[in-house]
Order: sequence, then structure tokens, then C-alpha cells
Amino acid sequence: MSNVATMKPVRPALPEWVRRLPEYLMIWVPLLLSAAHLVSFSLWTIWISFTPSTLVPVSGWVGLRNYSSVLASRNWQIAFDNLLLFGSAFVLLSAATGLALAILLDQRIRGENVLRSIFLYPLAVSFVVTGTVWSWLLNPGLGIQKLVHDLGWTSFKFDWLIDRDMAIWTIVIAAIWQSSGFAMALFLAGLRSVDTDIIKAAQIDGAGPVRIYRRIILPSLWPITITVVVIQLQFAISTFDLVRALTNGGPGIATQLPALVVYDLMFQRSLLGRGAAAAVLMLLILLAVLLPYAAWRYVQRRRAAHA
Amino acid sequence: MPITTTRRRLLAGSAAALALPAFARAQGAVKPRLTAISQWSAGSDGAAITALGKKFEEKGGVWQHSPVPGFTTEMMNKLRAQIMAGDPPACSQLKGPEIAAWSKIAPTVDLDAVVAAAGYEKVVAPDLAKLHKPAGKWIALPLQIYSTNMLFLSKRAMDKAKADKIPVTWADFNDLAEKMKAGGVASPIANGGTRPDDGQKFEAALAGISPAAYRAAIMNLDKKALEGPEIKAAFAQVRKIADWMDPNVGAQHFSTNLKRFVDGDMGMMIMGGWAQGVLRNAGFKFEDFTIAPGPSDNGKPVFLLNADAFIFWQRKEADLQAGQTLMAQLVMDPAIQTMYSQITGSIPVRTDVDLSGEGWSEGQRTTSAALKSAIASNQALLSMAHNMAQENGMTAAMIDVITEYVKNKTIKPEQAATRLADAVEGAR
Repeated sequence: MSNVATMKPVRPALPEWVRRLPEYLMIWVPLLLSAAHLVSFSLWTIWISFTPSTLVPVSGWVGLRNYSSVLASRNWQIAFDNLLLFGSAFVLLSAATGLALAILLDQRIRGENVLRSIFLYPLAVSFVVTGTVWSWLLNPGLGIQKLVHDLGWTSFKFDWLIDRDMAIWTIVIAAIWQSSGFAMALFLAGLRSVDTDIIKAAQIDGAGPVRIYRRIILPSLWPITITVVVIQLQFAISTFDLVRALTNGGPGIATQLPALVVYDLMFQRSLLGRGAAAAVLMLLILLAVLLPYAAWRYVQRRRAAHA
Repeated sequence: MPITTTRRRLLAGSAAALALPAFARAQGAVKPRLTAISQWSAGSDGAAITALGKKFEEKGGVWQHSPVPGFTTEMMNKLRAQIMAGDPPACSQLKGPEIAAWSKIAPTVDLDAVVAAAGYEKVVAPDLAKLHKPAGKWIALPLQIYSTNMLFLSKRAMDKAKADKIPVTWADFNDLAEKMKAGGVASPIANGGTRPDDGQKFEAALAGISPAAYRAAIMNLDKKALEGPEIKAAFAQVRKIADWMDPNVGAQHFSTNLKRFVDGDMGMMIMGGWAQGVLRNAGFKFEDFTIAPGPSDNGKPVFLLNADAFIFWQRKEADLQAGQTLMAQLVMDPAIQTMYSQITGSIPVRTDVDLSGEGWSEGQRTTSAALKSAIASNQALLSMAHNMAQENGMTAAMIDVITEYVKNKTIKPEQAATRLADAVEGAR
């Protein structure tokens, strides 16, 4: 707030904190309210996860019984394995696709704005719509497979949606389609912020474009890469609507994800206690991603301050 | 809308004040009013409950129905919220063992006097009656009945198979499916792939193989019965059904396939009686298909009951109490049940309604006859797939195993049986 000092004070007698009151109100009231919301409901959920609640929340103590029953259930085990596979595949592939798109767009091509909007557009579509559209495209009897068959290539097979081993990859495909544009936007901003003097100097030294990317531009992108990975990971962990619309956890229970299990336990099976336990487990998974990120940010800032 | 609420409260308040002097027989003094929630908003379900509301208004009542479209669970979420806020509806849709579970979280209305006055108990299937009086007193009333294991046969597919005999046992059923396949029917089975659909395939198989094993294993959760040979046999039959289905069915709803079913591209469908209403609404004719009771190895029809019901929640307001009495009388009335079932395609709860008249379809008459025969031979059972046999949590645990088995052809029937028993233990 350095420009505050240069402004001409209307009433110089007003103490500093009164003048800044609107700022404080604007920042702290919403922040405290949302923090209170978040924290109080998280605590409430943690409490419920230790109670025998079923249809409605009740008090009582069952220790870790809800947790052990969730962890022992096939639904949760499948959901957890799927999360590991989906999370890593989705994050890596969407970052790679986003980076590739960003590099291609960075070649000062004509119509960049139009292309950028096209690639970003899927982000504006709700996940339910994405899921539904892809569920039609990927259905072997309606979508891509049928189209190729009708074109004459009748031995073509693309039935991942109904193949329980491959179905999880259909979610990866739809999720990448939806969100690689977002990664692209972040990477593009990163590419544009690389100091052009360094690039010019490298060009004068005779470095080719591939070398410039490999040695200068990509290394300077890694803070953005970490941001992209963390944002996409927390999205992957909380994925719900996409799967619900695309496969609804099927075929059978092959594409369960933790958020689906939580919803299913709480609202379809009316087992609030177990649902809360599953939700707390999800929170723990999220923390496993976010805490190292926060630590890394902290170290970065310390280093910047010392430099 | 705060204004209407205030107005409503004012109305209710003044109505209650008016009612005070004649407290004993509230109905004469106040205008009966009913607040109700259900999931029935569109199609024949919506039309039927709207017609019921009209009858309620004709009797001088104020009908305030708030439908919550979507799955039953979404209606339940609304009900849960209202109960926790201390403002339950005077009456709400709820069925099966959920009636007992929910009646523990909020006080319900004792309907014994109204039910006795109507002589209703004598005309309701005993297993069904039990569900509606969990602690010995009637607190809920069934509204209509469907069987979840009716067999729909496509006329054109039957022609292709050159068959005219309706299959009675599972062996007959399997023969006919083979014949259809040989006769050029692409997929002899027309079912969809949703969770309840997969559950229905299994329950129809088990109940048809042994009604006694079904009662012990699924309704009473008997451990020995759950590990018995009938369960394995039922899973083996489910595998056959799954193999005859369109492999691309995924998690599709059965209604997606109805056109191919009528065209004879698909042959048979094991589905609830409601499919008749869906077929009719889609513009297909009765000549296009035949309805028969699901396969039963002992030759006598097995009836898997699914019954919609209303539960009545305790309210202090005199007008709501009067409304509850009026609603209960209407729901038990044979004329109202006739009206309701003729709209939805179900059959009446009352076993003494005559279905020979106009307005009833052949399918409904077959269903009703199957119910009477099944009650007589103690083969009227409660549907698992539609949450009549067990509470939602237990049902979901069972269907997890079944739906995975239907979609994963590497699981053996013996493995599935073990998993089912384990899932039941885990959900107890």
C-alpha cells in the first residue's frame, strides 16, 4: 500500500486504522466467515465420522469403526486404486498436452486468439455436460466406434467405456479434454514471461529453437508446472460430476472414485457416519498433496527473501 | 417466499383457532389441508398424484404437494432436511423397510383407527401389511403395487424364433432365448444396465429358482441360505442373461432399448410392471408385446413385490390432522386405487378390486392374478432391487456385488456367492 502515503489525506486527523477500516472489512469479514464455515463444517464432519450416525446425525462414539468399515469395503479399495491411476495419468497427460499446445501457440501464429479461445472453451462447459457428451461419443453402439464402422472399417474396436479395465481411461480422456486448456493458459503465460533478452542472446550464440526451449525456456517454467500439477491434483481428488455423468462408477463398480463413495454412503445408503469417515479420508489425501506444496512455497519464499 | 408463508401461517393459525371449540371432531370445523412430498412430478406418476390431489380437493381439502423430481434418494434428502428442521410434511412418499427406519427419527401418526374403520387389513398381502406397521401400529399406507419380475416378450422376436409358448421355468426361458438367437434376434434379452436393473436380474433368477431360498437369504439374511447352492445357481442364470444382452448396454436405462425390443431386434425383458406404462407412453401397442409372470421353476407364479406408500408424520395443526385422516381414507378407497393404478399401470394394493372391467389392461390382469396365486402359495416376496426387502444400505451392498458380477464375466458364480455373503456381513 505504498500509494496510500502519496495520496492527499482529506482529513489528516483521522487515525490510520480508521482510514483503512473499509479495507479491513473487505478482507477480514469474508475471510473469517468462510474460514469459520470451512473449519466448523470440517470439524463437524470429523466428529460425525466417529459417531454411529445413519439417517440423521446422532451423538455417540464408535471409535474408528466407521473408518475400518470404509477401508475394508471393496468400493473404497477400488476407488482408491482408481484415484492413484486417474490422478497420475490425468495430471501428467493434461500438463503435457497443455504444454504442447502452449508451445505451438507461442510460435506467433495467425489466429492465436481464436485458437486460444477454442482450447480454453471446454473449461466453460460444466463437467456434467462433458461427461454426458463423452458418454455418447465413447459408447460403442452410438459414437466413435459406430461412426468408423459405418465408414467401412468394421473391425475397428473402441469400447473402453464398457470395458471394466479400460473404463477409467475414458474419464482420463474426458478430463484432459476439459482441462488441458487451463494448463495451456498457465504455460502460455509462463512462456511469454521468459526474458526475451536471454533468448536473443542465445540466438546470437547460435542456439537453435529446440535447444533454446530445452535449455532456457522449459527450465524457467518449472514453478508454473508445479502450480499446474497441484491445481490439477486437487481437482482429480475431488472429481465427482464428471464420473457420475460419464460412467456413474461403472461398468459395475469399476470406475468408483472417492467422492462418489462419499456421496453414495451419505445420501444413497443413508450411512452418515461412514460417509463422513470417507470424506475425512479424502481430506487426508488432499492434505498429502497440499502440505508438501505449502512447505515448498514456504522454502521458496525464504530463499527469495535471503537472495 | 416470506409473504405466502406468513399468509399460510395466518390461515393455519386462524383455522386452528376456529377449530379449538370443536377440538374432538376437527374435520367438521376446519378445512382439511395436506402438505405432501414425493418424487412423482412427471409422466404417469405425476398425472396419477395430480388426479389424487383433485379428489382431495373435491372432498373440500387443500392440497399442497411439493414434488422432488429425480431419484428417490433426493426426495429423502428433502424429507431429512424437513424432519431435522422440525417441520415434516403431513405425509410423504416412503416405502419398504425405510418406513421402519425413518419412523425412529420422528413421531408418526397412529392410523389404526382409520384402517380398522375401513376394514383394510383383510385385503392387504400379509408381508406388505407388516412393512407398514413396524411397531405393530399402522403408520403408513401402501398405495399401489408393481411386480419387479414380470416377463415381457416381443411379438416380433417370438415370430422370428417361431415360438408361441410363454416360458414358465428358467429352462423354458433359456430354450426360448437360444431359439431367438438362432432365429436372428440380435440380443435375446432387452434389459438395461442400471444398478436396479442388474439387481432385478438376480432377484428374478433366485426367486424363480427357489422362493424359499430367496425368503431366507435375501429377506431374512440367513447366513446358511446365503451360502447355499441356490445362490450359485441364481448367479449362473444371471450370467446367461448377461451373455444374451447387448454388450454395448453399459449403464443404460431399459427404456433406451424399447424400440429395438418392439422391432424384434431384442426378445425378452425382465422388468417391473411399470415398463407397460413406459411402452404405452412411447406409442407402442399392446399387440407388440406379451406380459407374463417371471420364470418360476415350480410352475407357480413368484411375485416380487414393490409397493409405493405414504407415511404420515405427526403434526399439531388441526387442519393438517384433518387432512391426514382424509388422505388415509382416500388412499384406502377402492375407487381411488382403481383410478391411480389405471393411470400408472400398476395394480391396486387391495386384493378385492375387480380388474375385469374396462380401463384395465391384459398385463394388469395377469399381474393381479399372479399376485393372488403367489399369496396363496406363499410365493409373494419382497423385492430386493427396489428396496423392499432390506434398508437402502444393505440393498446397495448386495447390488454392488451383483452389478460387478453382471459386468465382469471373469467372476465365477461361486466367487460371486461368497462375495455376496461377505458384503451382507459387512453391511450388517
